[in-house]
Amino acid sequence: MSTDDASGSVANRLLDIQIERRIRLVFAFVAVVGFAVVFRFALNLVGFSVVEIFRFREPFIAALKQFFPGFPLIDVTQYWAFIQERNLILSIENGRIVPGAMFVTFAMGLAGTILGLPGALLLGVLGSERVMPYPLNFVFRGTMSIIRAIPALVWALIYIPLGGVSPFTATLAIGTDTMGNLGRLFTDALEEVEDGPIEAIQSTGASAPQRVVFGMLSQVLTPFIAWTMYILEINTRVAVTMGLIGGGGLGAVLTAQRGLFKYTNMMATIVVIFLLVVSVEIVSQRVRSYIRGDTDSASLIQLIVEFPQRMARSAFK
Amino acid sequence: MSTIEVNNLSKQYGDVQALDDVSFTIDDGEFVVLLGESGAGKSTLLRCLNGITEPTSGSVIIDGEEVDGPRDDVAMIFQQHYILEEMTAYSNALTGSLGRTGFFQSLLGRYPEEDKHEALRALETVGLLDEANQRTSSMSGGQQQRVGIARALVQQPNLLLADEPVASLDPASAEVVMRYIREAAAARNLSTIASLHQVNIAREFGERFLGMKDGKLVFDGDRDEFTVDTIDEIYGDIETDSIREEQRMEVEP
Repeated sequence: MSTDDASGSVANRLLDIQIERRIRLVFAFVAVVGFAVVFRFALNLVGFSVVEIFRFREPFIAALKQFFPGFPLIDVTQYWAFIQERNLILSIENGRIVPGAMFVTFAMGLAGTILGLPGALLLGVLGSERVMPYPLNFVFRGTMSIIRAIPALVWALIYIPLGGVSPFTATLAIGTDTMGNLGRLFTDALEEVEDGPIEAIQSTGASAPQRVVFGMLSQVLTPFIAWTMYILEINTRVAVTMGLIGGGGLGAVLTAQRGLFKYTNMMATIVVIFLLVVSVEIVSQRVRSYIRGDTDSASLIQLIVEFPQRMARSAFK
Repeated sequence: MSTIEVNNLSKQYGDVQALDDVSFTIDDGEFVVLLGESGAGKSTLLRCLNGITEPTSGSVIIDGEEVDGPRDDVAMIFQQHYILEEMTAYSNALTGSLGRTGFFQSLLGRYPEEDKHEALRALETVGLLDEANQRTSSMSGGQQQRVGIARALVQQPNLLLADEPVASLDPASAEVVMRYIREAAAARNLSTIASLHQVNIAREFGERFLGMKDGKLVFDGDRDEFTVDTIDEIYGDIETDSIREEQRMEVEP
């Protein structure tokens, strides 16, 4: 009977599925056990212990009380006093604005990004298979890989002979790091370009370099700007850590106060770090969403020109 | 401004014979419509004329000179316009002059004064002078295609090629774009070859018709010779019923 045949094949299929599921379950169990073993090994290697946390809870809580003076009502005046005393943000002396540690840190990130940009552009473009034929592009991809394999902090150590650990060498290190990271992002963006516009530029009788600039780079202008802004965000954070090893700016203040066990001052510095990093991120994200949106270039100018009017309008509302 | 000679042109992609021994001659200033089904070899033929694609055998000779690569005196309008959407209409039109501008001049935007004027004149020709400084990504499909035409005109070509320039446009925009192409070609006495899908647009704009089927040239004639039977030959029996109906209506009342 055909119905028997059909139900027989259904039963067989069900059996197949059940066996398959059981095998998958066993594999999942083995994987979980494997991860547990590796995790335990890693904890042992770093000497992790809950007992340690418990034993030092008293001094840690004491430190927390210094981190947040007057907890639970945090006494922000103590933070502000330190921010002013050490000129963490900015101060005015004899009518002149003196930029503080926050601006030194931001300057390291900004200058490093700009210094690294031409190198990133060169390496990134030449590393793309769309621009350089296959084996040759790996020379540039490889260069970027080597740069990336060495963290920015280590680059700063490498540059020490050029002038000790200072904001200057820290900026050089950030610039070098940018070439590797931003260049790689540029290469990836270039893989996405469409063939059509390149062909169209080719059909105008354009030369090979013109084809690269107009056919390819013009297509990735927006992602390039967006990625550069993203790297600026990262570099601002790197600039903070550069200070920790003596590169100046907010990081240097932080590590000095840690050495003095002045936890309130440390937290004041951390607040300023937070302020800086979040500000840079907000601006960067605004710029990125602006260039991604298809708004006309005129609207930014309008935004600025019409600003007094809008202010006046909202003031008299 | 030029004569185009196509001699025994063939192109093979693996097992596919995209072009099979195609020969024809086009005189100065002719407006030629190229018809055929998808895959009939229209695009391949245009790409060979443009020098983007190298033929397997045969040759294309423009003014006695054999085409052996992309050249700035042959301009192409693409179906998907392929303009640079990041740039303004004006910048896009200017890229038409890349072939005669040095690399660093073009990089710095230092185009010769007459090319800048040429770009704006071309945008005026396609009715986009007021939109010249607008980013093309915010334009409609028809406008973008007209920017593509402007770019081709700035090239100051002797031969204008259009690969299904209106295939992705709505009927109204298609009419407008075709009219701009024809007017621009007439004003500059440009030899033009446009491949088209829509038989009605082809009949409205064509002076001479080339029909392709399976890589072969199956028809070459002017408006009078381009009959409904010819369309059947190129496309099979589809599409023509309405035209036959129309003609019957015109004759009978």
